[in-house]
Amino acid sequence: MGRFKHVTRPEHLMAESANNRYGRVMSIATERLQLPLARPNILELAPLYEVLRREAPIAPVTTPAGDPAWLVTRFEEVRLLLGDKRFGRSHPEPEKASRLSSAAVLDGPTGEYETEEADHARMRRLLTPAFSAKRMRMLSDHMERLVDGYLDQLVAEHDAAGVVDLHAGLAYPLPVAMICRLLGVPESDHELFSRLSERMADMTIGEEAHHAREEFFRYMVGLVETKRPQLGEDVISDLVRAQSEDPSFDYEQMVRLCVGLLFAGHETTVNRIGLGTLFLLTRREHWEALVADPDGHVGAVVEEVMRLGAPGDLGLLRYAHEDVAIAGVTIRRGDALVLSINAANRDTGVYSDAETFNPDRPERTHLGFGHGAHFCIGASLARTELRVVFSALARRLPELRLAKDLDSLEVRTTLTGGVSELPVTWRSA
Amino acid sequence: VKVMVDKEKCVGAGQCVLAADDVFDQNDDDGLVALLNANPPSDRLADVRHAAAVCPASAIAVED
Repeated sequence: MGRFKHVTRPEHLMAESANNRYGRVMSIATERLQLPLARPNILELAPLYEVLRREAPIAPVTTPAGDPAWLVTRFEEVRLLLGDKRFGRSHPEPEKASRLSSAAVLDGPTGEYETEEADHARMRRLLTPAFSAKRMRMLSDHMERLVDGYLDQLVAEHDAAGVVDLHAGLAYPLPVAMICRLLGVPESDHELFSRLSERMADMTIGEEAHHAREEFFRYMVGLVETKRPQLGEDVISDLVRAQSEDPSFDYEQMVRLCVGLLFAGHETTVNRIGLGTLFLLTRREHWEALVADPDGHVGAVVEEVMRLGAPGDLGLLRYAHEDVAIAGVTIRRGDALVLSINAANRDTGVYSDAETFNPDRPERTHLGFGHGAHFCIGASLARTELRVVFSALARRLPELRLAKDLDSLEVRTTLTGGVSELPVTWRSA
Repeated sequence: VKVMVDKEKCVGAGQCVLAADDVFDQNDDDGLVALLNANPPSDRLADVRHAAAVCPASAIAVED
């Protein structure tokens, strides 16, 4: 756990010479920035991203792991590269690949270079029906009942204590309950897999993160083998069936996929609920608008939370599978790219008043769920969860406000970021 | 308005269903795009264009 302490200001770069545009490009290019770029607080990004988008949209950087990579910050290039099949998650020579961080997720190459596309296509084919927009919408009644239950409990706690933790009482339990139900994982294991998820995404504990991943793998092998004699109607059962019928579907690959889904199914949405609540409560006029008409506003609120919410401070990792010339640089086969979704979603060339949380903005697209072949498989699940949460909060707790200053909230040191507490109150001041 | 979808490209993201659920759906068996209406009325053009623009696989084509 830690807080943001240092702020990188772009002034030292911009001050060099307003006339010497190329000089400035050189200053950024030769400096080789060290990631992550420290941010002022959990809702804002380093101002340097704006300079990078303008002057060096694909810039050479050093990753937190100390390896060279290209940081891509402009919307156009990020979107283009996410959809470009010349870049992948695997590496032609994995042992030589740049690594992103010391966390044990999205830290380096994954999958087989030779079969990446076919393996990925099979995975999508297996998972897509289970996470379709229609199926997720059919779960929204169930989600509403769950959320009502969590809010009942928070209201009771609030009557006694005056302040409650929305993170522990709502943001965390809903995504966990939903992913457990979809995957067929016992909810009673949540403390174990949440602790493992947190540790494997932690960027400050070195090798420990990798030990956590191995432990998570063993937990999942145990679960898979417990389920095997009585497979049910859930995603892990589907994957176990598919793996047993397909000799080219490796057992380890199947287990890793189950771990990935359980990890992603709660680590990500938990953080969006937290960040969304913070945006709404610190831009009160948008909270009031949501309270006045939850059904009319919640869709746009969710999309704006997906655009502007920036949990984690790095980006999506890709490796070049061939030499590619783009935006004035040449990316060599094997080079690592860090595609900054956060920076792309705040591109002033695409969004008016890009840094401001404004659900009423005219622009309707963002890269919050990625783009291309790896587009978030859980996007419809996340959207449904976020809609249910924010409309329920607005309906039931219209006087909701933060009980602690934004800057004093505990921020997680994981790759996926977010807050670890969200103290709120609705008692009249 | 004429709408065409390419199932070979589709990655089953469901973005089009969100944009225009009277025009697009996802199949129950494979989760891929199912076209409900290949010739939607012109007042649906904006949403259909939006669906094409946000499709992560560029699998939707729209003609006026």
